[in-house]
Amino acid sequence: MSRAAGKASLVYRPIRNLVVAEFIEEIRLAARALAEFGVHLFNPTIRLGVTGLSRAGKTVFITALVHGLVRGGRFPVFEALATGRIARAYLAPQADDAVSRFDYENHINALVDKRSWPTSTRQISELRLVIEYQSLSGYQHTLTLDIVDYPGEWLLDLPLLTKTYEIWASESLRLSRQRPRADLAKDWHAHLATLDPEGMEDEQQALTAARLFTEYLRACRDNNYAISLLPPGRFLMPGDLANTPALTFAPLELSTEGPPPAGSLWAMMRRRYESYRSVVVRPFFRDHFARLDRQIVLVDTLAAINAGPDALLDLEQELGQVLDCFQTGRKTILSALLRPRIDRILLAATKADHLHHTSHDRLETILKHLTQRATAQAELAGAQVDVVALAAIRATREAMVRRGRQELPCVLGVPIAGETIAGEIFDGETEAAIFPGDLPDDPTDLLRSDNRFHGSVTFPQNADFRFLRVRPPVLEFTEKGVPALPHIRLDRALQFLIGDRLV
Amino acid sequence: MSKGWKHRPPAAFRLDHGQVIVGKTRKTRPPSDHPVQIVQDAEFEALAITIDDSARSSRRGARWGVLFWIALGGLLLLAMGLAITGLITDLFARNQELGWIGLALAILAAVSLIIICVREIIGLMRLATVENLRERAAEMIVGDNRVEARALVHELLHLTRKMPRLARGRATLEGHLAEIIDGSDMVRLAERELMTPLDQQARKLISAAATRVSVVTALSPRAVIDLLFVFGTALSLVRRLAFLYGVRPGTLSLARLTRHVVVHLAMTGGLATSDSLIQQLLGHGVAAKLSARLGEGVLNGLLTARFGLAAIDIIRPLPFAALPRPTLGDLMSEVLGSFGGGEERQPSRESNLASAEAQ
Repeated sequence: MSRAAGKASLVYRPIRNLVVAEFIEEIRLAARALAEFGVHLFNPTIRLGVTGLSRAGKTVFITALVHGLVRGGRFPVFEALATGRIARAYLAPQADDAVSRFDYENHINALVDKRSWPTSTRQISELRLVIEYQSLSGYQHTLTLDIVDYPGEWLLDLPLLTKTYEIWASESLRLSRQRPRADLAKDWHAHLATLDPEGMEDEQQALTAARLFTEYLRACRDNNYAISLLPPGRFLMPGDLANTPALTFAPLELSTEGPPPAGSLWAMMRRRYESYRSVVVRPFFRDHFARLDRQIVLVDTLAAINAGPDALLDLEQELGQVLDCFQTGRKTILSALLRPRIDRILLAATKADHLHHTSHDRLETILKHLTQRATAQAELAGAQVDVVALAAIRATREAMVRRGRQELPCVLGVPIAGETIAGEIFDGETEAAIFPGDLPDDPTDLLRSDNRFHGSVTFPQNADFRFLRVRPPVLEFTEKGVPALPHIRLDRALQFLIGDRLV
Repeated sequence: MSKGWKHRPPAAFRLDHGQVIVGKTRKTRPPSDHPVQIVQDAEFEALAITIDDSARSSRRGARWGVLFWIALGGLLLLAMGLAITGLITDLFARNQELGWIGLALAILAAVSLIIICVREIIGLMRLATVENLRERAAEMIVGDNRVEARALVHELLHLTRKMPRLARGRATLEGHLAEIIDGSDMVRLAERELMTPLDQQARKLISAAATRVSVVTALSPRAVIDLLFVFGTALSLVRRLAFLYGVRPGTLSLARLTRHVVVHLAMTGGLATSDSLIQQLLGHGVAAKLSARLGEGVLNGLLTARFGLAAIDIIRPLPFAALPRPTLGDLMSEVLGSFGGGEERQPSRESNLASAEAQ
């Protein structure tokens, strides 16, 4: 009897700790929000969250946005800039001295001179943009825009905030045993079978397990088997935490419930998971996501469709989990004082230039379908949600290809070296007209379990869709010698995200 | 492999391949030795743009009243024809020369009547076009149809092609037509580019008319005079606004327009009262304390301004979506400023806009 009671209290202790930790966290957030509220009264600021998994195009989006605002892009739909109310916009020193600066100049040079896309982001960086504008009533104002860029892999960690080690371990194991992933996880599974969770803790075992687990995650990502659902994200992109104990853990096969025996491997893994959450995940969330005003979620839907139905389902789940982490809702005075909320969310299907514009509506419908639960929730809370197919930098032109009696709406571009379609391999110099395959009008056709479409992972030769990555375009220059970046609907995105704050 | 939707497999065509030719237009047939032809979409015009006319309001069925007027008009026309023919025969009977003069005059009258009729019909059609444009634009802002919005903007450009002050806006808009912009954004963009100068001008016209009416009412010795004056000013205001927005009405279409405006005013009157009642009371009350005539003048000016605003709603080819709708308070502060305060209290444009925003 007494033993059972003792066990129960042991079970509940971590949960109580969790509640206390959350409470302290909330107080911290509220205190900071209160301090920022005072500053923002005199210096209106928007914190724009650019959210996106890796390779979704965050860096390119930020570069194009900054370039358009600072150097005066062609943004007809962005009212304040098109009507000339924005006097100027310039880069200012960022607020946070501990974070590196977003390397806008190098990114733009690489795009313009070398015609190459930015390499994947390895560390967090920040940028502050000050917009001087005249309001409709004629007064001079400034608006400060804070933007953060970070490795997309880290975003995968946010859902861990609400998961205990045991839940995470069982989910990861379940996923790793599903079909295409199981082959990649073979080595790790073999090692896992030799481990006894309740045995003595052993640093060497933990190291090996973590290494094999990381290799499995990396293999998943590199083979495009799944472009999402691979937490913890720091395993893929460790930053400055490589080889620390906080990154040396792995899921274990747990058969029993209840607390782990003291000094066991299980207890060690669990402790490290907890410190991963408190050292890595929580500060990341606190510093960059807990105080956003506006959010754009960049989703590379086309890459998921390219990879196949499994990747698409993965993406759907991951998006749902990530979006659940954010505070959305209508802005009230109380919320502005204590807990900032995101009152506008833009869901953007990026790389829309890989498709002919007649298919953009279908792409938007697909993204809408993938995010419908999170969208409904945000709208219920009073936030505005919009879905858009967008290309921050448009790398293609459009063309109609006539082959016999068939007319195919194509895009013209230079595919990146090594991209293949229907047996043809491109060298990165040749221009080609690409027809990526027809998207369905009804997005549920893509997710049907009975009649699955062919992804390029399982059917490399006869996939139903091939969205080729293309090189950045040859740019035209304005009369002042500034490169003009072509785009698709970037101005509409800007109008939605910050247009209402510039009236 | 069957798909739930019409699906064509992906394909790619290298532009340097021998069997591929690249052309600018789709008019040219490919030579038979080049099985693949690529047509670059320099502009969206390359795609066939079809306009769905079903959105237009359905014709009402023939009604007895209409039939009566048509029959009566026919009879009158016949009587007139008979009388004129009789007159000319009589003239010929009296004197050959007089007969010829009479015939020439009759032909002249007939020709000018036909021309007047044609112009009236064109005016009516233009009015219908504008109404149709506005309806479709309102639909497009909700429906977001890209192809139709592009067609609409083309029509708008055609409608406004003779307005010199829009040259810049038209050029900008034509430049944006080749880009990928969604339907509702395109309509808003067109509104901003084309309607901004016109709206400003319309505002000036309305406030000038309202000021005139206020002054004349305050100064006129007899009620009949200001009644006539208000009526005349309202009519000319509608006409000038219609010219401004590109309707260019004839007499019949002006009558039709005025009727629409009155109906619109009657329908939206209740709404307008609620949001500007305080201003009316205030404006009227303060002015009336100064003098009864002055108060009456302000009231008449107010009515004229409201009439002008209603006319804008009817005449403007696009609904107010991207630009703020001018409000009564906004216009009246201009009128009162010029009327009551004279030079020393001329309200600046900024404060007007600010008050419009505040509402």
